[in-house]
Amino acid sequence: MAIKFERVSYQYQSIDKRGYLAIEDVTLSIAGEGEFITLIGETGSGKSTLVQHMNALLQPTEGRMNLFGIKIDKDTKRQKKVKLNPIRKQVGLVFQFPEYQLFEETVQKDIIFGPRNFGVSEAEAIKRAKEVIKVVGLDESYLKRSPFNLSGGEKKRVSIAGILAMEPDILILDEPTSGLDPMGRNALLKVFNDIHEKLNKTVLIITHDMNTVYEYAKRVLVMREGVLVYDGDPLQLFSRRNIENWNLETPEILKLQKALQSKFNIEIDNYPRSKKALFEAVKEGVKQ
Amino acid sequence: METIIEIKDLTFGYSSDQEVLKNINLSINKGEWITILGHNGSGKSTLSKLLIGLLKARNGTIRVDGLLLDENTVYDIRKKIGIVFQNPDNQFVGVTVRDDIAFGLENLQIEREEMIERIDSFSKKVDMFEYLNKEPQQLSGGQKQRVAIAGILAMETDVIIFDEATSMLDPKGRRKIMEYMRKLNEEGTTIITITHDMKEAVESDRIVVLKDGKILKTDTSTNVLNDKATLEQSNLELLLPLELLYYLNENHVDRKELKDYLWQLSLSE
Amino acid sequence: MKNIVIGRYVPGKGFLYTLDPRTKIIALLLLMAGTFIIDELIHMVVAIAMIGIILLIGKISIRRVYLGLRPLLFLLIFTFAFQILFNTQGELLYEMPLYYSPLTIGLVALVVVTWMLTKKYIRFKLIYFLIMVALSLFIFSTLNEPFVFGQGAFTVYEDALQMALFIMLRLIIIVTLSTILTITTKPTDLNLGLESVLKPLKIVRVNTEEIAMIISIALRYIPTLLDEANKIMLAQASRGVDFQEGKLKEKVMQIVSLLVPMFIISFKRSDELANAMEARSFVPGQPRTRLHQLVWKTLDTLVIIFAIGFLFGSIYIRVMV
Repeated sequence: MAIKFERVSYQYQSIDKRGYLAIEDVTLSIAGEGEFITLIGETGSGKSTLVQHMNALLQPTEGRMNLFGIKIDKDTKRQKKVKLNPIRKQVGLVFQFPEYQLFEETVQKDIIFGPRNFGVSEAEAIKRAKEVIKVVGLDESYLKRSPFNLSGGEKKRVSIAGILAMEPDILILDEPTSGLDPMGRNALLKVFNDIHEKLNKTVLIITHDMNTVYEYAKRVLVMREGVLVYDGDPLQLFSRRNIENWNLETPEILKLQKALQSKFNIEIDNYPRSKKALFEAVKEGVKQ
Repeated sequence: METIIEIKDLTFGYSSDQEVLKNINLSINKGEWITILGHNGSGKSTLSKLLIGLLKARNGTIRVDGLLLDENTVYDIRKKIGIVFQNPDNQFVGVTVRDDIAFGLENLQIEREEMIERIDSFSKKVDMFEYLNKEPQQLSGGQKQRVAIAGILAMETDVIIFDEATSMLDPKGRRKIMEYMRKLNEEGTTIITITHDMKEAVESDRIVVLKDGKILKTDTSTNVLNDKATLEQSNLELLLPLELLYYLNENHVDRKELKDYLWQLSLSE
Repeated sequence: MKNIVIGRYVPGKGFLYTLDPRTKIIALLLLMAGTFIIDELIHMVVAIAMIGIILLIGKISIRRVYLGLRPLLFLLIFTFAFQILFNTQGELLYEMPLYYSPLTIGLVALVVVTWMLTKKYIRFKLIYFLIMVALSLFIFSTLNEPFVFGQGAFTVYEDALQMALFIMLRLIIIVTLSTILTITTKPTDLNLGLESVLKPLKIVRVNTEEIAMIISIALRYIPTLLDEANKIMLAQASRGVDFQEGKLKEKVMQIVSLLVPMFIISFKRSDELANAMEARSFVPGQPRTRLHQLVWKTLDTLVIIFAIGFLFGSIYIRVMV
């Protein structure tokens, strides 16, 4: 396993009150390829703190992690010998707002900034920039433009390209689709799915959109008040009764399926995860 | 019905060679709940800024409550229209919740006693009374938006615009804001919701669909929600039950009670 | 970054909390002026004792005041040492012979090395440092053989001692008083008080209300901006920026990678904020009513009378005695 957490807790320091536990006793592991994971939970449940551990931006105040063979615990920060920087090449983290990272005059310069920091030659970095800009669904003409004159969705894509160019094994995205309209959201989700399927990378997305969880993810992590309360299959999660207690909504596809089944007794085999599959199943079910 | 906002031939552009809004004509009734629906960059937020005079129209007129919007009337018009913006952090002016609700009242030169009264009653209305002494850092995004609503309610405006006010919130925060919209509208406040989320549009009386600065369609919610062609043209999605309804129609599946049920479902979102 | 809380408002009770911020600001200025006028050590001690009593009645923990003083400790010690070493006016109070020999120099070097190696394990670093200095002086002054190749003297003159003490005590008083002000007054009240104290400046066309608005917005947004700066730093660290390392050229790049996003986000923020303020009927320069109103109480009058009394008392003593 590329990422392994063993009873990891993290306590934020603060001066007047006693520090508060942002995440508590989290144990999990994530493979370095081929996973599509979503991470959900209310605002303030510790999602961002959790992913910031995954590329060693934060180190646990309790417990241990193993990130690509590098062991990290609460003493790691003091020992200067352990280099944390290389981990960030392997675990790419895209922050929620692209404005946090874009700063160069051109998109190309911004994309090669990451790889250059990790010692990739300029020629190679530019070559990568040309590849990743297409992966995120923009064409090469964007490379010459200023990142600040792009639309919100385009900025987001450029910021993702900047991380992809580092060629990480695991790509983590913090609420990548928030604020985008339906078209923009679907297009971006398709990009993530391609990165997952074609490049065989592990993709982890923080989201509030249960439809994304249901349609795309093979695995879902649920955080609640700093505790990892669920780690497993999305379908099993949503078919449990107490998801309302966790303030989670039922994905629309599943909601519609359940409504139709209970009202009309339409037979629908299994649980279709995409609109298309559900629609076809309903059509077949009605005909019978 | 009494008209509260009347927009005629409104055109706007940030520079002379582009037009963000083209020939907008729209009248909004008192007590109505109207949704302006459009994709990112369709000009919907620009429209809201024009309505409260933060931007100046190139052509056309806006009348609010009979008053023509110009340099002289803009301050009076802002007393009639309040707006909740998208980013909760960038509209919280006060150091505490109490101070923030007071901000607008201070500007209107309301007497102190009256101010205290209004702060108490309107903070209760959005369930933020217990938080009056809290600082913005101690609040969630949803709570900050509720404070913004209280700040506007306290100013006793006739119209409230929600300019993508829920887009940065989690589902719980979003649901809560929707509840207040519903409640306020029932009590007679005119509500303008600006969004690209179909689910936020369902409950409104009418929907205006914007695409690239032009109005594609203005109609009752039921008619717009059902109009696949218009929605697709403007990069929006049908609600899922309705999408299924279309699919079944296209595939010649005829079961009336199923179709009726799908309709019901889509409206009960 | 979270350390910028020295002198920050600490909720509490006591008469200092109920005072009007204007009173506190004016009293602070009067008391400070008073302590600058005093030129007798004994009067200074009385002044310090008075401040001690204020702290006691106001129930303010000495530890808080000490925390406020701590950043100045270095400055205090430096001025003290500077005066003692270089001011040679007045009566010679004390002389200590110093013997320089391989043995004494070696031993002192040993002391220095021990200090450097052990200081991180010691809690009271300052006291430890002073002990080490005393030990070094002791070594230099007592071991007068063998192989003494030079001799010096450690001298203390009266003026030096007096000046050093005065500077130190004045600094302590100033810092203590301002700490009292800032930890017992909410930033909003402080701002309101400042605005009102500065009001006379309106005559010279300084818009004090606008200044107050700017300060209040700054107070509101400093935590937000710090939080944002931190996030930007993490975002760039995720792209391989190693803020601990790098050559000069890389350092410049690192700073640019922080500053550009910071500026862009702040501009956008201020733009949106201005819109939000205008939308809520804010018009710069227009009169506004205020939710927070300062209420002057009898206690405030008493405190001001006391402070004025203190100032005149010190002038009287200086001139007449």
